[in-house]
Amino acid sequence: MSIMESSDERNLVELDELSRREAWARGMGGPEKLRRRAEQGLLNARERVDCLLDAGSFRESGLLGVSSMVDADREKTPADGKVTGYGKVDGRRVAVVSNDFTVKGASSSMTNMRKIGHVKRVATERGMPIVWLGESSGARMPDNMGARGMGTLLGNDPMQYVRDRQTPWASAVLGQCFGSSAWYSCLSDFTVMRKGAVLAVASHGLASLAIGQKVEPEDLGGWQLHSEKTGMVDRVVETDEEAVEEIKTFLSYLPSHCNEAPPRTEAPDEESETLRANRERLKRIVPESRRQGYDARKVIEAVADPDSFFEFKPKFGRVAATGLARMGGRTVGFVANNPMFKAGALDVDACEKITRFVVMCDSFNVPLILLVDTPGFIIGIEGERRKAPGKIMNFMAAIQLCTVPKLSIILRKSYGQAYLNMGGGRNSDEVAAWPSAEVSFMDPAYSVDVVTWDRNVDEDEREALRRVMERDAGVYGLAEINAVQTVLRPENTRDYLLEMLDIHTARLSKGIGRHRMANWPTTF
Amino acid sequence: MANGEILAPVSGSVWKIECTEGQAVSEGDTLMILESMKMEIPVEAPVSGTIASLTVKEGDPVEEDAVLGVVTT
Repeated sequence: MSIMESSDERNLVELDELSRREAWARGMGGPEKLRRRAEQGLLNARERVDCLLDAGSFRESGLLGVSSMVDADREKTPADGKVTGYGKVDGRRVAVVSNDFTVKGASSSMTNMRKIGHVKRVATERGMPIVWLGESSGARMPDNMGARGMGTLLGNDPMQYVRDRQTPWASAVLGQCFGSSAWYSCLSDFTVMRKGAVLAVASHGLASLAIGQKVEPEDLGGWQLHSEKTGMVDRVVETDEEAVEEIKTFLSYLPSHCNEAPPRTEAPDEESETLRANRERLKRIVPESRRQGYDARKVIEAVADPDSFFEFKPKFGRVAATGLARMGGRTVGFVANNPMFKAGALDVDACEKITRFVVMCDSFNVPLILLVDTPGFIIGIEGERRKAPGKIMNFMAAIQLCTVPKLSIILRKSYGQAYLNMGGGRNSDEVAAWPSAEVSFMDPAYSVDVVTWDRNVDEDEREALRRVMERDAGVYGLAEINAVQTVLRPENTRDYLLEMLDIHTARLSKGIGRHRMANWPTTF
Repeated sequence: MANGEILAPVSGSVWKIECTEGQAVSEGDTLMILESMKMEIPVEAPVSGTIASLTVKEGDPVEEDAVLGVVTT
């Protein structure tokens, strides 16, 4: 037997071993568990990855990892329950972590935490977004129990939950998300949730044990709670496939990392029928009377490139609308007061929502457009109990720390502190106003009540006071002192913004901001 | 919205009804006005067609997403 033959034989044996291990790892928790998932209409961890990535682009990392803490688990933990690697979305590189619930509930253990740590480090250092496909039960037991578990596993990565926004993170909540899936969802820039999934600190079972009464999963962390009450979820969908689509849409607006400008798509034809109609529509959306509400999202849709508005948290903090969109093919972030709800008066939820959105836009070089129509911040006991002054200042500090271009347009009302928060004065790079704009410290009608509080004042004096209070509130007063640089007809808003975005492009830094809030929290 | 249901965009009360059953309407026409938090909130026709029915009257309280009527195409 020649050396050659012997070497070939050995290669064959090794290849067989490799093929066997690979096939076993790709088999996840086995046909029975996979079949049960499929019957429920749920994709498995690998199908989710396939659905996300461009065909054939997945380069898996850590395929052959298994549980290493408990000997008996080595044969029961294909890929150790978390599928990790790199691929492409619409031709751009991303890293992905897909939790495989069929393997020990995708619980966290030594190997899979190392797998996550590896792709997270690579993605961060090499400038790729990370996509988290969440469905996990929490820390694996007994692996993480006791001094050895805690001391060598859970506390062993001092950067594990640092979010410094070097690259965008997008999450999908696709099943029970406790432990790491919950944490990474909260740390992401964008989180989509499938109806029926649950996002919570710990399972409803554990919560029921802890407090001694039955807790329902939907109450603990269902889609309604998170899309309407906590605001920790940006959008809600019906299926896994839709969730993955939403992540792709989100990523399409963002750069791959913080040191590049967002991608540009082809600009729409400004002479198209749709854009002409949208310009005309802008004349009619906002009623002149201050008492009349309208949906500010219609203004955004009429101003932005057609069908480009991608709203964040549509059911949370609805007194303001936030979302990404495109203007002439470039990504922008819109923040608009929405007079359809509570007259557009800013509440605590809206402050949290806007702060988080502004921090994201600033961190990834997305210019901000503020559309202003608000009577101010809602005052009252409920807001104060929920730390309204602190929330208002978080929002304000975020606006002032921003180094992306900020363009503010006052459509109608802008009163009090909210005028500053919405970019009034020098809090944005350029302020314009529609002829219907009025600016003051508060609604003139209320201001008369305030200064005559507890005094007997006849109607003549009240009328005289009202005239004083209303003086200078109009748009031309603002223009005369250059508090707004442009008075704008509504129908010219899009053209104005397109040109201002071009003027305010950060040329000296090639469109890259200073990211002074990159390590701000993701929940406020 | 293919079904043509007229839905309340916010919770409030019906302040003014500006259409009648049988009337032809175009998508986006203001059909009625709700009052919510001292603001007038327009309710628009979801599609172009004919008002087949109106299920509220002025003064009625309505919840968000309540069906206020139907437009048939």
